[in-house]
Amino acid sequence: MQTKAEQIEQDLLRPLFHSSGKYWIAVALATSLLLAGVAAFCYQLYNGIGVWGINSPVFWAFDITNFVFWIGISHAGTLISAILRLTNATWRRPITRCAEAITVFSVLIGAIIPLCHIGRPWLAFWMIPYPNQRHIWPNFRSPLAWDFFAISTYLTGSTTFLYLPTIPDFAAVRDAATGFRKKIYGVLSLGWQGTPRQWQRLETAMHIMAVVIVPVAVSVHTIVSWDFAMTPVPMWHSSIFGPYFVAGAIFSGIAALILAMALLRKLLHLEEYLRPIHFENLGKLLLTMSLLWFYFTFAERLTTWYGNSPPEMAVFWESIRKQFAPLFWTMVVCNFIIPVPILAIKRLRTITGTAIASATVVVGMWLERFLIVVPALERKFLSYSWGTYRPTWVEDVLMASSFGMMALLYLLFSKFVPMISIWEMKVGLHAHGGVPVVAAPDGAVLDVAE
Amino acid sequence: MNALYGLYVDAPGAQRAVDALRAASSELKFNTRQIVVVSGEPHEGYEFTDSHATSSPYRWAVLGATIGGTTGYLLTTLSQKSYPLFTGGMSLTPAWTNGIIIYEMIMLGAILTTLVVLLIGAGLPNFKGVITDPEIGKGKILVGVVDPPQNSQAELERRLRLAGAAQVKQSTGT
Amino acid sequence: MAHKWGLAVDLDRCTGCEACVVACHAENNIPTAGEDQAARGRAKHWIRVERYWEGDFPNPRVRFQPVLCQQCDEAPCEPVCPTYASYHTPEGLNAQIYNRCIGTRFCANACPYNVRFFNFYNPQWETPLQLQLNPDVSVRSVGIMEKCTFCVQRIKSAEIQAEAEKRELKDGEFTTACAQSCASKALVFGDLNDATSEVAQLANGNRGSKLLGELGTKPNVTYLERGSWQDANKG
Repeated sequence: MQTKAEQIEQDLLRPLFHSSGKYWIAVALATSLLLAGVAAFCYQLYNGIGVWGINSPVFWAFDITNFVFWIGISHAGTLISAILRLTNATWRRPITRCAEAITVFSVLIGAIIPLCHIGRPWLAFWMIPYPNQRHIWPNFRSPLAWDFFAISTYLTGSTTFLYLPTIPDFAAVRDAATGFRKKIYGVLSLGWQGTPRQWQRLETAMHIMAVVIVPVAVSVHTIVSWDFAMTPVPMWHSSIFGPYFVAGAIFSGIAALILAMALLRKLLHLEEYLRPIHFENLGKLLLTMSLLWFYFTFAERLTTWYGNSPPEMAVFWESIRKQFAPLFWTMVVCNFIIPVPILAIKRLRTITGTAIASATVVVGMWLERFLIVVPALERKFLSYSWGTYRPTWVEDVLMASSFGMMALLYLLFSKFVPMISIWEMKVGLHAHGGVPVVAAPDGAVLDVAE
Repeated sequence: MNALYGLYVDAPGAQRAVDALRAASSELKFNTRQIVVVSGEPHEGYEFTDSHATSSPYRWAVLGATIGGTTGYLLTTLSQKSYPLFTGGMSLTPAWTNGIIIYEMIMLGAILTTLVVLLIGAGLPNFKGVITDPEIGKGKILVGVVDPPQNSQAELERRLRLAGAAQVKQSTGT
Repeated sequence: MAHKWGLAVDLDRCTGCEACVVACHAENNIPTAGEDQAARGRAKHWIRVERYWEGDFPNPRVRFQPVLCQQCDEAPCEPVCPTYASYHTPEGLNAQIYNRCIGTRFCANACPYNVRFFNFYNPQWETPLQLQLNPDVSVRSVGIMEKCTFCVQRIKSAEIQAEAEKRELKDGEFTTACAQSCASKALVFGDLNDATSEVAQLANGNRGSKLLGELGTKPNVTYLERGSWQDANKG
């Protein structure tokens, strides 16, 4: 007869050893999207940024929108993993690795986009302060230099945060695998054994990482927001941008996480592990962030409107009433009007409900980034040089390929790494007397399984 | 790596085994350091090992943060002073903007130090080979002695079984 | 005393003929964008003449306002460039170092005057116009920002000449291409640190104001106008 621990190991290792046809079709689709993006980028590299739709004065559009969007999505893992670890919320156990993986991959994509959007990408390495004879040196006053340091630190930190608790699981795969796979996972697990000393050290390291990664995540998106706020551009030069962007990032991150979990649940048959209670709890968090997002947006727009400064009002009316009004109000519907009822009413806060709300939030948050970047650039101070922006096919393909890249990385990750942390699930068993239970953050036992 | 070990279904059983082995170490002529405990997850509140992990990882992290911060300070301030370019009317070494770089370097120092301290403290990467058993994946805890002395093996096996082992095995390690 | 280059733009004299625009294109190797690119908003004029209409029939009034890089003392484009491509020279110019530019376009976004331009493609001149290129000025390749330099090639050439002849530069000895071509003498270039120069006297006169002066960029271009339009922006 199988013990619970045995069943956990079997269920969570199964995707690594067996994949359905649907899986490979998904991988093929994601790869083709990614390759289309690579082709579009080569086209852009050969011809120049002129193949995009940007112009004078709208020098940033889809490129920076996508950059901020992906860095925003990356705040999923940090919040869920680190803060829930620090607050000992036990319901986080099945979710942490899905979340941490989203973080690492979206930071990676977010880091690649600025390297590709500059006019001379082959010189992007000048951002690194390396000793040279040419007096090339980064300007530490520039928010882009801050971006470089912040994103590098965040990528290092989140990769470490993802890798450390995966080491014991790599050891589990090593023990269950044979032949070549055994060797590879032997290397990946660094020869992990599982002695008490090793467990102690690992848990201490995770605790330190959880404490450190939260301020890093907050600083990363604040610094990204300062790419805008540090200029005198009307409606960019706003002190609310720091907190606004962090809140928006956490908002979009949780939505992306819920979507990823819903998909994984179906594709990898993890129904026993990713349960309705997880989606409920994340749904409540998403509701909170939706209300917070609405508060920030309302506060920013109200103060602008009340202040009535002409340069700012020019941008303001573009979004509220004129050219961008359809996009703006779609954003409000997607970020607030649809999600709040779904997430607030318990009967609707099911897996399907939260997934629908999350999908609209992801769309709405992309629109929010776009509406921050483009209207302000279209309507700067001197009205003679106002402009308009329209994307070209190159920008559309590049954007689609970023989603393809994310999907591909995530799919490959689910193939080679257990998506749910095996050892943490086993710890969860012991915490509640040998039966897999799901606990609410206040410790009440909500669900008991056979 | 040769090991004689027993598999125990739960942590109290493993604790009994460890205590029994510690008590028998001088009699059966092996060092307590040769006692090995392997499990598939951490067990809170049990004394499986003699050595107690100190709070040094935290101190190392603080040290790493300090080194990172100093590096950031030197990087920004020294380079700005040696290559004096005033931009936008700002001072040559603007403290607040340099502070952002220094902050990120502090965090990076803490992260890298934590990683290194973990690897060293946990003995990773481990080239010596692991003692493992498929039963560990099913939730059992392995308690045994590495390289037990030849003439004590039968007595060791008896003690392990007495402590409640579900199985007692010999392994050559991987 | 070091030079501090400045420009005075007399809005009462400007006729909107745009000879300055043409001269700047010729002097600084600026290609025309072409109809298609201009329609997409990529026309590149280091100096442009902005046209604003006031009032209705029967008394409409048109204002011409030449706008070029203001060479701000506290330029918002300078701190944001990650590679120091946009930096401040000791003579008060905001210089754009083409070799350092990696094309992040941050400076263009930060500039409140929209006077920075990006090379979206490699520049092309229809034959035989490439024969007319100024050898003193580099041709910028794709991916690089550019803007008005106060004809720094002419400044440098005059300074080198004066140093070789071991004498001081005289006011009016050389000027920028735009000021040189202005038929109504609306543009006056010179050394603001030289109190006897024409530009210094105009800049310190009572008709002078700064464009978007309230932003604190401290531009070195002074707009002259007798009238209430710019009163709020004085200083």
